[in-house]
Amino acid sequence: SGELYCSLPNPRNVHFESVNMKNVLHWSAPEGTGDGVLYKVKYSVYGVGKWIRKPECRNINRTWCDLSNETSDYEEQYYASVKAFLSGMCSDWMETTRFNPLTDTKIDPPTVSLSSTERSISIILTAPEMWRSPEGESLSLLQVYPGLQYNVSVLNKKTKKRWFFSISNNTLVVPSLEPGTAYCVSAQIHVTTPLLHSGFSKEYCTDTLKDKTA
Amino acid sequence: SVTEIRSGFNAIKANIQARDPIKTLSILSYPHSLHKFKSSDRCCITHHLFNFYVDKVFKHCKTEDSYVNRKISSIANSFLSVRRKLGQCHEQNQCMCGQESTEKLDQILVNYEGLNVTSAAIKSLGELDILLDWMEKS
Amino acid sequence: EEALLPEPQNISIISTNMKHFLTWTPVIIQGETVRYSVEFQGEYEREYANESWIPICECSLITTTVCNITEDISASVAYNLRVRAAVGARRSEWGTLKGFFNRITTSLTPPLMKVIADGYHLLVELEDMGPAFQFCVLYWKKGQESRMQQKVVKEVSSVVHLDTIEAGPDYCVKAQTYVEAINRSSSFCQTQCVRVPGGTSMWL
Repeated sequence: SGELYCSLPNPRNVHFESVNMKNVLHWSAPEGTGDGVLYKVKYSVYGVGKWIRKPECRNINRTWCDLSNETSDYEEQYYASVKAFLSGMCSDWMETTRFNPLTDTKIDPPTVSLSSTERSISIILTAPEMWRSPEGESLSLLQVYPGLQYNVSVLNKKTKKRWFFSISNNTLVVPSLEPGTAYCVSAQIHVTTPLLHSGFSKEYCTDTLKDKTA
Repeated sequence: SVTEIRSGFNAIKANIQARDPIKTLSILSYPHSLHKFKSSDRCCITHHLFNFYVDKVFKHCKTEDSYVNRKISSIANSFLSVRRKLGQCHEQNQCMCGQESTEKLDQILVNYEGLNVTSAAIKSLGELDILLDWMEKS
Repeated sequence: EEALLPEPQNISIISTNMKHFLTWTPVIIQGETVRYSVEFQGEYEREYANESWIPICECSLITTTVCNITEDISASVAYNLRVRAAVGARRSEWGTLKGFFNRITTSLTPPLMKVIADGYHLLVELEDMGPAFQFCVLYWKKGQESRMQQKVVKEVSSVVHLDTIEAGPDYCVKAQTYVEAINRSSSFCQTQCVRVPGGTSMWL
């Protein structure tokens, strides 16, 4: 009967992992099951009455499924669910918690490009691109999070002193620096509403040019 | 402040939403998302939704968890002080409710009354981020 | 029936920089350990929830006579607070704070600040006072107070860059805190002036 048929242990820890609105469903295999487990995935828009199957994630043996396309409207919220199959047996559907792409996504740090003169460095920050479908229009982070700011850290490698700047646009020129000196820059994205921030980027370094008159 | 409402909600979001098993119905988003409304309707909808939460929702959200109850109290009291500020905007701007807004607010009450009061209150509380996302976006 | 315990007295609030503490004088019962429990009631509970009280579990049956109520005083409305003593099963009446407490009355102290001139750069180090705090930093070239410039620092991260400066003149800086949640600022801290060595300054 149904109970026996669905007596396979359940997939575990079913959850969305979202970075820059690339929303991927992840789960762990049912306890104690070796190889050969297959999975089905479905999702639903919160408040809308039906579950929708994801054909590309039907009878898959991997433990993730990219639902970015299906969850791309970040003004909606979603659930997703996974069912496991093995040797004619199946598990229950195991669901995620409610997923809100706008607040539950993680933001990658910006990339930093540097140029320098004798006494200044120019910093250009590029925010990560938000996920978009192949035929969709590109979506900038600024469009999704209008209150976006950058925290920028500038380290003088000679003196080991670090300064912090907070800027709204994506460019910064730091003048009046020492010639022939290495400066390392790292930056972070900071959104105030809703409260979200990326980690700091890796450090990008450049040297100010040597003082020709010296 | 709205930021404090958001952080209070984030602290209990998973707990509250887990108490709402009905995934096929939304109080605030059915049949249309709040995001459908223009910013000109913002003052009216925000004003009435704050009244909705204060007058109808919070009092039916008591749980067995004292931490959750304290956070709900924090959110409810923050609603009162934000509503007071909104009240000033409401008076100054006489933000009128257009027909669409009125229909939307009526629909929200219909959705709310369509469930038993505790389920409706917990579902509404679990949808607070829908209201906050819309408020903070526009 | 066992005599009722005396209720706690001198119940008061100490509130500084958005940190709020309830204190009271101890109830002395010879040979006994007296414990205390604290409850709060916001305007919402008074007006919309049948004047209900909410216990603060971190201050339930404690032996100290102070309770950190910061986490629960999280809205700019009037709060009631009360304390009760207990020895075993014996309880006192509730002692209630005289008057309401609203966090908008918290006292705001000027921020700790350190001004640094690093090369041709004016920098400031500010004390991290928590997420509720922003800083308004004013800086000017000494003698040119009329051309004072302002920078709002929303997030404290060690050394904040203010501006580039010239060698010679003194540059002065002062700062105050601003708490958006209660729309209030502290007074300014002591002005600090620094100078970039080198160059000739009018004032020397």
